[in-house]
Amino acid sequence: MNWLQIFVTVVTLGSIFGVVTLSLNLQYARGGMINFGIVAYFAVGAYAYAIFTQPAPQGLDQYKFGFGWPWPVALVAAATAALLFAAITGWPTLRLRGEYLALTTFAFAEVFHSFLLNERRIGNGTVGLANVKRPISDWGPIEEKYVFAGAAALLMIATLLVFRRLLRSPYGRALDAIRDDEVAALAAGKSVQRMRRQVFLISAIPIGAAGGLYAMFTTLAQPSLFTAEVTFIIWIALVLGGERSVYGAVAGTFGLIFFEEVVRTWPFETVRSAQIAASVEHIVTGLLFIAVLRYQPFDRIAERMKATR
Amino acid sequence: MNNTASTPTAEPPLLEASAISKRFAGLRAVGGEDGLSFAVSRGSFVGLIGPNGAGKSTTFNLISGVLASDSGAVTFDGHDITNAASDTIAELGIGRTFQTPRAFESLSVLDNVVSGATSPGERLRAAFGRAWRTHESVTVDAAKRTLDRVGLTGRADDLVSDLSGGELRMLEVARQLVRNPVMLLLDEPTSGVDPVLQKRLAALLAELHREGMTLVVVEHNLHFLLALAEHILVLTHGELLTEGPPTEIRTDAAVISAYLGDDYAA
Amino acid sequence: MLFLQFLTTGVVTGCFLILATIGFSLTRRVEGFLNIAHAELLGVSAFATWWLNAEMGWHVVLASTAAIVFTSVTGLFVARLIYDPIRERGPAVLLITSTGVAFVIGGVIDALIGTGIRTLDIGLATSYEPFGIRITNYQLMVVALAVIVSVSLALFLNRTRTGLAIRAMSGNPELAASRGIDVRTTSRATWLLSSGLAGLAGVMLAVLATLTTDLPFAQILQVLAVAILAGLGSLYAVILSGLIVGIAMDVSVYWIPAGYRPLVAFSVVILVLLFRPEGLAGTRAA
Repeated sequence: MNWLQIFVTVVTLGSIFGVVTLSLNLQYARGGMINFGIVAYFAVGAYAYAIFTQPAPQGLDQYKFGFGWPWPVALVAAATAALLFAAITGWPTLRLRGEYLALTTFAFAEVFHSFLLNERRIGNGTVGLANVKRPISDWGPIEEKYVFAGAAALLMIATLLVFRRLLRSPYGRALDAIRDDEVAALAAGKSVQRMRRQVFLISAIPIGAAGGLYAMFTTLAQPSLFTAEVTFIIWIALVLGGERSVYGAVAGTFGLIFFEEVVRTWPFETVRSAQIAASVEHIVTGLLFIAVLRYQPFDRIAERMKATR
Repeated sequence: MNNTASTPTAEPPLLEASAISKRFAGLRAVGGEDGLSFAVSRGSFVGLIGPNGAGKSTTFNLISGVLASDSGAVTFDGHDITNAASDTIAELGIGRTFQTPRAFESLSVLDNVVSGATSPGERLRAAFGRAWRTHESVTVDAAKRTLDRVGLTGRADDLVSDLSGGELRMLEVARQLVRNPVMLLLDEPTSGVDPVLQKRLAALLAELHREGMTLVVVEHNLHFLLALAEHILVLTHGELLTEGPPTEIRTDAAVISAYLGDDYAA
Repeated sequence: MLFLQFLTTGVVTGCFLILATIGFSLTRRVEGFLNIAHAELLGVSAFATWWLNAEMGWHVVLASTAAIVFTSVTGLFVARLIYDPIRERGPAVLLITSTGVAFVIGGVIDALIGTGIRTLDIGLATSYEPFGIRITNYQLMVVALAVIVSVSLALFLNRTRTGLAIRAMSGNPELAASRGIDVRTTSRATWLLSSGLAGLAGVMLAVLATLTTDLPFAQILQVLAVAILAGLGSLYAVILSGLIVGIAMDVSVYWIPAGYRPLVAFSVVILVLLFRPEGLAGTRAA
């Protein structure tokens, strides 16, 4: 078991997905919006990055667009694309609440997934876009993969700091008020419609950037990487870390990714036992998810801490 | 049916409802054949009474934008607020409390009142600057003073769950008061409130009235209301039965029979 | 001609969707939330049938019956263990929890079954060609079952005590309780019935399709489409919605590539939720 490698992967993937969990934390725990289609914004970022960096199509390539831009520009494009996607899908769906919002976001994500699978001209169908540009360079004595992990961690920390700043301000308090009682918040003059839209759009930006990083990391943009399962992983990470705090969102993601990586790289004897272990891992995380939702240990701890103050 | 304004003044009424109505699943909750119409003069203290199911809270909902009227128009201070959203209406200067008191459970008592005010510090841009701190201290001071006014001094750091039903109502009043509303709509403010707190509330409302605030209060507690209000509107089955000063209303035969069967016969 | 063929397969798909969605709609109305794990129950039944039939050699009818009973009990077990204790937390929390349950059940199926395609040990389908339209005996079976189940369910809900209790509860649980209906027993009956119906649909899935472990989850999207379109209304709304979605999905192939077939279902969800969230039935949830 190469623990160092596991550590590097956990930091990299944990940071990338941690950004998505942070955004979900903002949308759900503070904004009260149940987004069951968050993978779509992630996918938009990844595909946008791939399309903007890849060379123009030639020969047998089925895709139509490739701009060959430098990677920093493409990352910005990825974030912007996710923002646009959020603006488009947000306009009809943000009027909805609760389960209806959950289902609509879910449906939009599946529509997008289906679109990626079928539209060869944009995303090259099931095969996806390969050889996505990854700026390979060691930084002095530090190997490239550490640099990459560092960059991902940087994005995650930046997102965390920005969101934390936002949530500690009066804006954050107004968000809490809206989440607690929307009717009373309206009676207190809070522009619920506008604030929800703002939260939805702002949280989409880092998801797009994270998507771009993900495409860089895997050098691949393929529909099978962006299924509903990713959305559920993020939800599980959010709940397991305690829905409320930003730190919990990151901790939950790291924990989950760590668990997954260990199971994935464990030297099993047979392919079958590796598969069973992966399934068992699913079962265990699912059960933990259900348990945390029911017993709300984090709320209990927070209350006990408040009481002893 | 008497549709004139309460006191004959030259100035137009502050709030005017013309032929508003609301149906729920085929049943008419508010508004008779011609809809419901009434007016409230600036600075007056109006009581809205009627048996259960008369449509009092629904009328409040229609005025404050929680529900959209099926017909007619509502004007406030010269603005047409018929189809306006609740937050816009709140910003225009109408405050309201609810039949079942509402509060922000995850915020402290003080924060509940602070969040009632619309402060420029709450805007998105402000979150990333430093200016909101100044706005905050101003709002916090105002909130603390308002808490004093409603008798919740010293409860600032408590949680919403620590408050009794009556205290919760006072908190809701405080949350609206900190906004300095032009007109305050109160929905059954004494319901579930003990007599001591009721006295305090009566004194507060009289004080606000003296200061020029327009008050419209829905109440079943007629002893409380008839002593404070200048003008009473009586609603039954979503229509205006009659209106007039308290002395007339309490002896009006039609009003008494509308309440027959209730415990609160005047 | 091709159009009529698609229309026919659309009706078959519609009938399958009716079977898959009735149970889901039932728990939605009585228990008040959308149980995403319902689709996984189809998988439980499908794979249980396969195992008993293909691995243990049971006759397919016996295997399916056993599988349906097993699924029915499993659904009830999950409801009592996981959903009942958190009923008062509201439909949103229950919805989120049910996705966790779906995850767990999916994981169990994965662990026990593994990858690869599974098929039932039943004869090959026999096709008929009435009026030049191809239809197989299995497809006819789905249609027949949908009709039988619909009629039986209608009778059950209107004539039996439990059925009437279920109908009373779907409108208003508190009111039903005050009328003397045993809420707990009725709730359990609903779960048994709903899961049993999911079991039946799962057997049909195993008969009609080649089974892979990710197939059940793919059904939830279409079940959601039918349920949302039907709204909170009656059985008839579900029947009508099932046929509409099934036919829309298959007939759409006439104009757009087959790969977009699921897209039709999702688009239905989006359009209905945006423009008429109460669905065909028209009764708004409280």
